[in-house]
This record gives sequence, structure tokens and C-alpha cells, in this order.
Amino acid sequence: MLVTERKRVSDVETEETATAVFEVDDVSVYYSDFRAVTDVDLDINEHEITAFIGPSGCGKSTMLRTFNRMNDLIEGARMTGTLTYHGIDLYGPDVDPVAVRRRIGMVFQKPNPFPKSIYDNIAFGPRLTGTSENMDDIVERSLQGAGLWEEVKDRLKASALGLSGGQQQRLCIARATAVNPDVLLMDEPCSALDPIATGRIEELMLEMKESYTIVIVTHNMQQAARVSDRTAFFTAELDPNTDQRTGLLVEFDETTSIFSNPRDERTENYITGRFG
Amino acid sequence: MSDLRTSFHDDLDAMRLEVVRMCAMVTEMIPRATDAFLNNDLAAAKRLIQEDDLLDAVSINLDLMCTQLLALQQPLATDLREIVAAIRLNPEIERSGDLVVNIAKATRRMFGTEYEPDVRGLILKMSDEAQRMFRLAGEAYSMRDVALGAALDDIDDRLDELANDLIEAILEDHTSQEIDKQTTVQMALIARFYERVGDHAVNIGEWVRFVVEGWRPEDAGAARADKAARANPTSPTIKDED
Repeated sequence: MLVTERKRVSDVETEETATAVFEVDDVSVYYSDFRAVTDVDLDINEHEITAFIGPSGCGKSTMLRTFNRMNDLIEGARMTGTLTYHGIDLYGPDVDPVAVRRRIGMVFQKPNPFPKSIYDNIAFGPRLTGTSENMDDIVERSLQGAGLWEEVKDRLKASALGLSGGQQQRLCIARATAVNPDVLLMDEPCSALDPIATGRIEELMLEMKESYTIVIVTHNMQQAARVSDRTAFFTAELDPNTDQRTGLLVEFDETTSIFSNPRDERTENYITGRFG
Repeated sequence: MSDLRTSFHDDLDAMRLEVVRMCAMVTEMIPRATDAFLNNDLAAAKRLIQEDDLLDAVSINLDLMCTQLLALQQPLATDLREIVAAIRLNPEIERSGDLVVNIAKATRRMFGTEYEPDVRGLILKMSDEAQRMFRLAGEAYSMRDVALGAALDDIDDRLDELANDLIEAILEDHTSQEIDKQTTVQMALIARFYERVGDHAVNIGEWVRFVVEGWRPEDAGAARADKAARANPTSPTIKDED
């Protein structure tokens, strides 16, 4: 997407009415005594793709998991600060984490289809949560949305495990969207895929952001540059008190700015490979 | 600080060196063109005209380096701005070389002309000033010296003044019928050539700031246009004018 299309000269409306889906305020995440990521402040805007980039161990995946309370499943994990979702405290006492994960879906690095048919993979979620929509319609809509329908429509009863890596990942995306989520979190969704499969999923992401809000963690800077509207750069720095490397948010800005003229020297050094 | 992309950054340094080399070539040609012109030296003029081929060769090489770096390295941030700037500096410097060669060509066209002392003096001063500006422009680029690059705009005022003085002197000589119409026009063009070299040097200085800060003077104009559009949404914008 060209620079001029991302931000037009007089696009006043878009800038002023960008709605925040998540508001992250002074968030730190700990695994027992270990502070994995510290003092994060950022907003995730609706119908945008936000990318998290940074070296290994900088807390970007940890941060991603806070958005749908996946860290709850890790022993000793806890969060300080506030994280709101459409204005509601996501970690409030009345919030059901399972309901959260229905609204905020996740796609992982390694495609993980269930050992079931293609059809049953998609139907699993809606069956579990209950739906009034016709199941055949749900399956078709989801597979269409993931750009997989044409390839599998004649073998919906076949095992999902027989699909190629790229197809499996698109199946996982279809599965995530079957329950009509609001947000899709993607943790290095293309790392295990070849360039063609990667390209198809990137195209898919750009189409999908009209219906969803997407947050993606990626090691591939060019991917972040290609698909995202805004990019957050995390890094890991040595905490002198604990002798541990803690992740922190360095810079968060429009993708075009981050990659053409970043403000922080650490961002500049990372993306130009002058890292040390 | 460890560099994970030494091979790329070495190539980037080589590209920058090529820009500096091009600048130095033009800087060195300026006084020689002036000498050839004032001394009616046809041989020296011919040498300069042929040297334009060398400048063309460097220009082509620089283009190739820039294109390859873009294609192969996915440059970002300052690295990207360096390459974009080099692509834009290429025609600035090459055009400056053309202007200097035009002075050499004028040697042929005006062969045999005797130049009045005041005119000679002004041409020499313009040549010195243009050479100085181009040398400083090359330095500003080489050292990534934004302040020096910006200063060239003010230094250019001197060259503009000299150009006006020269044209006045030429017109006086024409009025007093010491030189004919053809010579008058040619001399005025010479003044312009030096003055344009100075303008190109100013532009080079502006690109130094772009590399370091990502800012160009046109950004100010664009910002003003944006502000005006926001204040008056119904007036024509870039989008509206097709």
C-alpha cells in the first residue's frame, strides 16, 4: 500500500475518528519474579493492522497474549497496569476469559488444525459456543473469508491434516473467524510458510482488516512494513537491579514513519541491522 | 555496536564515495573552464568537453549502484534515505557538470573575444565562488554536515549578486558599443551558468538535511498546503486538480 494511500493530505476524518479497541496503560507482565515486559503504553485502533516487531525475548508475544488473556494459562503469570477492551477492563473480576477468547481470536506460528475433518475444524467453535446460523453457511463463509473455499469445497469431510502448511494456516484463520470475533491476534503466522503461502496470507490480512482488527507479531520487518498501519518496536534491555533482560516498548508510530524516519536511535539501529 | 549488515553498509559507503567523487570532479572542472574561456584556450576547452564523458560514466555507475542496493537490500530508515538522496543528487551534479562544459563550449563560440578588465574580474570572482560552493557542498555531504549544507543558501547570495553585477557590466559595455548583441547575450548566459552551478550546490546542501533528518524544504510548502486545505475544505486540493 502506497504512502499516499495510507495517509492523504486532507484525511482529517480518518485521523480524528480512529477508535481504540484496546488501550494499554502502563502495563508490565511478570512470570513469577521475572519481568518479561515493562511499562507498555499504546492503543490498538479498530480496523487497522498493528505490528509488533523486535528481537527475540523483547516481550512482543507476551504482550500479544495479554490481549486475549492467554497468559492466564501460564503458571505464575501476572499483569500490572490496565488493559481495556472497548473501554472495559479486560482483567476485571466480572470478565469471563473464555468469552474474551471468543471475541479475540488467535492464530499461532505453527498451524494447528484439529485432527478432524476440514468441516469439523470450522464447526467446532460455533458448536461449542452455540449459534443460530446454519452450520454449512458458517463453514462456507469462514473458508471464503480465508481464501480457502475454492480449494477445499469438494472435500470438506477430508482430514485437515492432509492440507499443505499454507492451507492449514488459512484453515486456522477460517476457524478463528467462524465465531465472528472482533479482533484477530496473529503470532508470527507466516514464519512456517513459503513465500507464496506468506503472500496469500498477507493479502488476506489486508482484506480482513475491513471486518476485523488485527495485531500481528512478526520477525519479518518487511512483512510488518508491507501489511501494517502502525508498528510497535520492542527491545530487551538489561535491568541492572535484577540482571535480567526485560522487554520494553521503544517506539510506536505509523508504519511509514517507523521504517523511513524513526525517532528513536534504538529503532533506527534495529531496523538497519546496526544492532548491538 | 555490532553491524549485522557489513556487506550492505560497505556498499552504501561505496555509493556515497561515488557521489563525493562526482562532486569533486565538477569542482575541479570549474576553474579550468574559466581559464579556458578567459584565455581563449581551445585545447583546454576541448579537453573539458571530452571529460563530460567521464562524468556521464560516473553518473551511470552511481545509478546502477543505487538501483542494485534498492533491489537487493530492502533498505530502511537512514539507509533508505541515503540511497534516495544519492539518486536525486546524481542529476544535480551531472547538470552542474553540463553547465561547466557549456562555459568550455562558449570558449569556442566566442573565440577571439577580448574581455574588459572589469568583466574578467567578475567572471573570475564568480568562478571562485561557484567552485567554493561546490567544494563546500561536497564536504557537507561527505561529513553529513546539516549546518554547512544549510549555510550554502546564504553563501549563494554572493554569487547571485556577482551575476547581477556581471550582467550590468555587460549591458554597459553593449550600450557603449564595445561589444555587439551576440556577445552580450553569450556573456549573459555565462553569468547564468555560474549562478546555476551555485543553485545546484544549494540543492546538494538541502539533500544533506534530508539524509540526516528526513526533511526537505518542500516539506514546509506541503505543510502549508495541508494547513490551508484543513482551514478551507471546499477549496481545491491536490486530489481535486486532475
